[in-house]
Amino acid sequence: MTTDSIVVTTSELTSLQPLSTDEPTIGFLCFMLGKEEFGVDLNLVSQIVTPPPVTRVPRTRSYFMGVVSIRGGVATLVDFRQLLGLDPAKIDRSSRILLYHTPDEQFGLLVDKVTLVRRVPASNFEENPVLEENPVTEKVVGVVRPDKTTQITIIDLEEIMHEALR
Amino acid sequence: MTSTKSPNPKAVKEFLSEAQEFVEALSNVLMDIDSNLRDDDEVDPDLINEAFRCWHTLKGLSSTFGAESLAQFAHREETLLDEIRLGRTPLDASTLDALLSSIDVIVAALNQISETGDISDVDVASLVSRPPMEPQAAPTDVAVEIDPRKLVSHDIMEVLTEFEEHRLVTNIERGRPLYKVRASFSLMSIDTELEAIKTTLKPLGEIITYLPCDESDDIEKLDIEVLLALKKDYSELEQAVVEYNARIELVVDSEENRPVATPAKSIPTGRAEESVAAGITPEASGVSVEMLSPVVSNDSIIADVTRDKSLSLRSVSQTVRVDISKLDRLMNSVGELGLVRSSIGRVSDELRTVGGRRDLAIELHRIIRGFERRLAEIREGILEVRMVPVGQMFDRLARVIRKVSRNLGKEIQFIVSGADTEVDKLIIEELSDPLMHIIRNAIDHGVEMPKDRTMMGKPESGTVALTAYQKGNHVMIEVEDDGAGIDGDRIVAAAIRNGAITEEQAAVLSQRDMINLIFLPGISTAKEATEISGRGVGMDVVKTNISALGGLVEVQSELGIGTKFTITMPVTLAITPALLVEVDRAVYAVPLNTVAEAIMLKEKDMFQVMNTETMTLRGQTLPLCRLDTFFNIFREGPPRPNSRVVVASLGQRRVGLVVDALVGQQDVIIKPLGHSMAQAGCFTGVTDIGDQKLALVLDTVAVIEEFFATPDDSNQYTG
Repeated sequence: MTTDSIVVTTSELTSLQPLSTDEPTIGFLCFMLGKEEFGVDLNLVSQIVTPPPVTRVPRTRSYFMGVVSIRGGVATLVDFRQLLGLDPAKIDRSSRILLYHTPDEQFGLLVDKVTLVRRVPASNFEENPVLEENPVTEKVVGVVRPDKTTQITIIDLEEIMHEALR
Repeated sequence: MTSTKSPNPKAVKEFLSEAQEFVEALSNVLMDIDSNLRDDDEVDPDLINEAFRCWHTLKGLSSTFGAESLAQFAHREETLLDEIRLGRTPLDASTLDALLSSIDVIVAALNQISETGDISDVDVASLVSRPPMEPQAAPTDVAVEIDPRKLVSHDIMEVLTEFEEHRLVTNIERGRPLYKVRASFSLMSIDTELEAIKTTLKPLGEIITYLPCDESDDIEKLDIEVLLALKKDYSELEQAVVEYNARIELVVDSEENRPVATPAKSIPTGRAEESVAAGITPEASGVSVEMLSPVVSNDSIIADVTRDKSLSLRSVSQTVRVDISKLDRLMNSVGELGLVRSSIGRVSDELRTVGGRRDLAIELHRIIRGFERRLAEIREGILEVRMVPVGQMFDRLARVIRKVSRNLGKEIQFIVSGADTEVDKLIIEELSDPLMHIIRNAIDHGVEMPKDRTMMGKPESGTVALTAYQKGNHVMIEVEDDGAGIDGDRIVAAAIRNGAITEEQAAVLSQRDMINLIFLPGISTAKEATEISGRGVGMDVVKTNISALGGLVEVQSELGIGTKFTITMPVTLAITPALLVEVDRAVYAVPLNTVAEAIMLKEKDMFQVMNTETMTLRGQTLPLCRLDTFFNIFREGPPRPNSRVVVASLGQRRVGLVVDALVGQQDVIIKPLGHSMAQAGCFTGVTDIGDQKLALVLDTVAVIEEFFATPDDSNQYTG
């Protein structure tokens, strides 16, 4: 049995970053896709697990990588890179799966690496920024700049999954 | 059989379980009698008979196992019930109270036996609080005594038992007309036909008795007369017996309470006129009551069985033990019937397009729909039969707990709830080992020694609670102890030592996930392995076993307070034997009920028909469906050597599924795919094949249908 138990519950991650201001904050789970850092609403992701063996399911859309067994249940594995129009993912040691539930299906979203949970003051969240045209742009709901050198692209997970399942 | 001085524990157990069945059956019967009385209804004489039989059986059981005082007590109750059923003692609320109190006596006696383990020692007399009920005369609320002998012919009266005579008189007193319903049965099927006519007549009145007559000319047939006290309208009776070709004769009229003049009202029903072939001779149809022949008492098994029924040693229990593999076979047959149905459906569809007898095609379609419904009912019925209460398993676990806690010198209170929750038998079997493991752990590692508990201010005896309940389509089983709880830090330390996780990984673990590490292989915090648990093998096996059944195990624990394991299981399992095959390094499961055979793919047998690859199999042409192509997997290079052909059949249609290799055969549990995966359209689900790997289960029917639906020039999936 491999270690699907290296699990981080997102509620636990939240407490890793102490709050420094009294201002209302927003929590994002941040991860890498290629060289770029992305973030999604922390509350939407229930767990982070290391990838178990993947079983391909033929005749499904290319961004569906197949199915994986997560704690006795079955989750549909989604290649987050392809979903955002990037080239297909390769699973390696740093790969992680973010678990996301819809009412009738459990999804695992494959990302290259989980960075950390960022709690940023609401004022740091810039909604609908003007970005240069690329496949990702239209799924972006905002950007966050936690410090001067970092920019994290925030994507609307619910919207993007809704679209992927259509 | 004689009584044994020191019965072995197994015999005691056997006795207790049988006696327990009896107690349950008896209390059910008494409760039914109670509701009869409450509704001011007449008490169904069958119920009283049933109660009588219960006591009779217990009497036999008790003396077999040497419980003399219990047998005596049962005899006393049996006698009372005999008085009641013969109408000598009235059955009212106070009599029923007495009958019900006897159940308490028996339960107390059984408990005593279960504690002492000694059957012959039990003293029932000491448990009895009420004095034996003396038989008392039934009140004579009917002014005029009815002498049945003046009303009913001697031939009939002669063969009635005392009980039947009593019922006959009772019914005449209540002003019910008495009829003889005579029908002819083939000897081959008499048992089922007789049951059928009894079932038909029962709602119409009371069946006093039924007697065979020997006057049929046809030696293959036997005439039976049913003596019926009619409660409903005569017309209903007339209608009901039409299908049996039965003849009705009035024996005692309701109005006059006197014998009818000869010849009796002989009413040929329905097709009776033309029923000479059915065994009713012309002479017989005009026969009067007096001329009816007497019973053939010696030759007639039926009559003997009927009258001796009350004395039979028939088991009280209405249950049948069935080997679960028989049910599996039955389920497989149902699966095959499903295939038959789809073949018929296809023929029917074709028929409708042909034109001509469109009416027949529609009729056939309607019949198929009915067939489908029945099939679904059978499938549900079989699944239902497989359901057993979890209490069976809980009882076994209780014994383990007693033993383990005694060995360890710990005091455990075992609390069980939801024992009547029903689960598939197979789940129970597969679950008992994992559960036992969890419980052993709870007692060994969880619950502290009594003196430690006292120091911590906990009650001296620990508590292990086992709870089962149904939640939607799942059954939840919880094992909760109030012991020391799981020390997350120690588990993490063990996991790091073991190399299962790194220190960095450990740093981000939540308390809950630390505890979940116990499900990793080789994790043990016990300083030394005890005999009972703690060698570090176990919890991972527990989890694997439960997962393989489509279940889930979770653990919550709080240090110093206790630990709770929650197991979530599906109520039923969809288990199918399947052939595991390999295509492009991935394993797929093909349900065996759709597989005819598996053969080697030989180049020399292959040829093209139009654009379809086919091969010759025993002189017949078998179209080939390359699964890799079907799955849209495109591979470079020449065709693979040593490919196999799995011959799949759906009705008359056969397709050779070409696969890379055969992996083996296995019973698989099918878990459903999510919506987004179901769009593949050719899989019914996935199944665990070990090592966290999943295999897709092929929907053979869909594959075959799609294969034939696609135009000939491209016999492959192109979407």
